[in-house]
Amino acid sequence: MRLILRRIVGQLGFEVADAEDGRAALDLLAGMENVPDLALVDWNMPNMNGLEFVTAAREDARLREMTLVMVTTESEQSHIVRALAAGAHEYVIKPFTSEAMIEKLALLGLVPTGANT
Amino acid sequence: MSDQTTPTVDNLREIAEQVWSAYLDPEGIRPLMLGETSEASSGVSASVSLTGAWHGHVVVTCSSEAARNAAAAFLAMETTEVSDEDMTDVMGELANIVGGNVKSMLPAATAVSLPHVVTGAANRFPTTRQICELAGTWLDEPFSISMWQSRELAEVPAA
Repeated sequence: MRLILRRIVGQLGFEVADAEDGRAALDLLAGMENVPDLALVDWNMPNMNGLEFVTAAREDARLREMTLVMVTTESEQSHIVRALAAGAHEYVIKPFTSEAMIEKLALLGLVPTGANT
Repeated sequence: MSDQTTPTVDNLREIAEQVWSAYLDPEGIRPLMLGETSEASSGVSASVSLTGAWHGHVVVTCSSEAARNAAAAFLAMETTEVSDEDMTDVMGELANIVGGNVKSMLPAATAVSLPHVVTGAANRFPTTRQICELAGTWLDEPFSISMWQSRELAEVPAA
């Protein structure tokens, strides 16, 4: 899934970095000079799951402005509510098409004008 | 659990259609052909376990060639560029997507595990029984999605 997401947002002009789980993502972010505009977060990950990552990111003042989108098969209403309450901005349920993902990002104002969509 | 909440082959078909439409056959020209089954000589088997209010497994099994085709479609690359790691990742992701969607049909207190992928052998679940299977061919290669329920729970009569 990381490779698919990398391809989709790469087409939009984003520079992309990925991590295998929430803990690795926090470590990666800690080493970055600039905070990314967007994080696409799976719920079902080893070590630190997506919800734990979103919660941790929202508690970190440095990451507070980063847009967080959950990308997951967890489609129950209770999961969506928990993710949004924890600080996720949007929720995309797998399977999704490239068009659906780009539409969500456009709603968040993250598709640059003239991007190759 | 009553039979009403036990996923059926129709549920698997609906999920498969979504997966093929989104990733494996977005142009609608390479569908999964149901009902035409043949044994994979050397296959890849990816599974996720469901635990909690419902116990069992969702298993995606296909030939190595089908797994290679799936990875190529999923990752938008040529089959010649697909690595063994790509195949494993994509098969695991397919099991995760199908399993996650099956989970949404089950009682809320059911959790889905991380995917487990086995190559060259079938996943075995000795304390389970198969409750449904969607089987056929994709690009002339065997491909199936099946559900296995914990035998203990499967044999409890509905209230």
